[in-house]
Amino acid sequence: MAGESKNTVPSILSIRKLEKSFGSLSVLKDISLSVDRGNVISIIGPSGSGKSTLLRCASFLETADGGDILYDGQYAMRDGVYASKAELNRFRTRFGLVFQNFQLFPHYSVLKNITEAPILHGEDKEEVHERALSLIRKMGLVGKENAYPYQLSGGQQQRVAIARALALRPEVLYFDEPTSALDPELTGEVLKVIRQLAEEKMTMVVVTHEMPFAKAVSNRVIFMADGVIVEQGDPREVFDDPKEERTKQFLRVFER
Amino acid sequence: MSLLTMILKMSEGLGKTCAIFFLTLLFSLPLGMIVALLRMSKVKVVSAVTRFFITVLRGTPLMLQLLAVTYGPYYLFGANVARNKLIPVVIAFSINYAAYFAEIYRGGIESIPIGQYEAAEVLGYTKLQTFMRIILPQVIKRIMPSVTNEVVTLVKDTSMAFTVSYQEMFTIGKQIANSQTSFMPFLVAGVFYYLFNAIVDYLMGRIEKRLNYYK
Repeated sequence: MAGESKNTVPSILSIRKLEKSFGSLSVLKDISLSVDRGNVISIIGPSGSGKSTLLRCASFLETADGGDILYDGQYAMRDGVYASKAELNRFRTRFGLVFQNFQLFPHYSVLKNITEAPILHGEDKEEVHERALSLIRKMGLVGKENAYPYQLSGGQQQRVAIARALALRPEVLYFDEPTSALDPELTGEVLKVIRQLAEEKMTMVVVTHEMPFAKAVSNRVIFMADGVIVEQGDPREVFDDPKEERTKQFLRVFER
Repeated sequence: MSLLTMILKMSEGLGKTCAIFFLTLLFSLPLGMIVALLRMSKVKVVSAVTRFFITVLRGTPLMLQLLAVTYGPYYLFGANVARNKLIPVVIAFSINYAAYFAEIYRGGIESIPIGQYEAAEVLGYTKLQTFMRIILPQVIKRIMPSVTNEVVTLVKDTSMAFTVSYQEMFTIGKQIANSQTSFMPFLVAGVFYYLFNAIVDYLMGRIEKRLNYYK
């Protein structure tokens, strides 16, 4: 893994030899990757390649079958064995996850969607409130504080979901196809917000089908197919001069 | 016997009708949730046994269950039949309605997308917080129409207490009808139930409206 050995600070996320099957279908085979602070990594690839499963394993929504998952050099899973529930809960505070279909809580206002989790974690109410308002400003949602999710467009809902994840001040933010459920005219506003976070050096892993976005925003692109990482590297190299035939084949579809 | 005397006599039983109604709701609504959770248990034996009891309670007449709970202890153990019939009546009604409510709850809980649980999990909600704060409020909104249906049915079902001669409104009406050879008490009973349910409908409608602040 490029750069890892030189780094004295451990990567925020390291995955080694990750394996995952659904029944007899092997969806992740020997996946290794690391995410360093301040980096934006895009994961691209055809559907069914295991991109989302990878993110879901990293966020403990799926139980992997083998390999290591480390946060900040500490084992969340070692050789297929998970840490205790309490430890996993502590690791959970390190990352946030933005879902393809937002998964906002429909019975809560925008503000409550953002503030409830940190308050439940025992943070100061006033402080959380202030933080939420500043996130609402940042996401361009001023005036929507008391709106309910059904009153918002998909793009607005996704921005609330991003604010909700950020309110817990994660060290790394995962995006699972954040614009795939949106009408084309609404993807821009969500990508703009992610781009802005990238400029602020927020560490992010983005599973996406938005190739121009992946190329422009990420430090590293990972191309996955059939459960393996086929190719990874600098976005310009992967997009403009792919080494692997499988990558070329995949990118050709987007040129048209 | 004048119509007014009839109405007055039957009104005396209304308190008992209301007692069956409210006590049944008080016990069966929470009990139904426990049954629903047992029914959805990951422990196969627990869910299978619960499922069996639900099918028995839903698959046999409430009247039979009333008789079984009231007189069963006498036939089985020679125990005295409860002097206050309200107790066996409420037990039978509560168990029966809990079975129906359990299935309504289960349907509601299963209709909530798994993504809601996942979102809560990633945000660090505990299992209990997820259920109480995220899932249950959405379930309540979704099941309100079905619950209203059951509550309306319960109002009418209270009349079944006549099978164990519990002196609620319908039982009294039936006795008057027999002694006076008149159909009038049944009409009076019908009007009582209709008015009772008009109130139930109104109140449940208000609750549903209150939950309409989101979709």
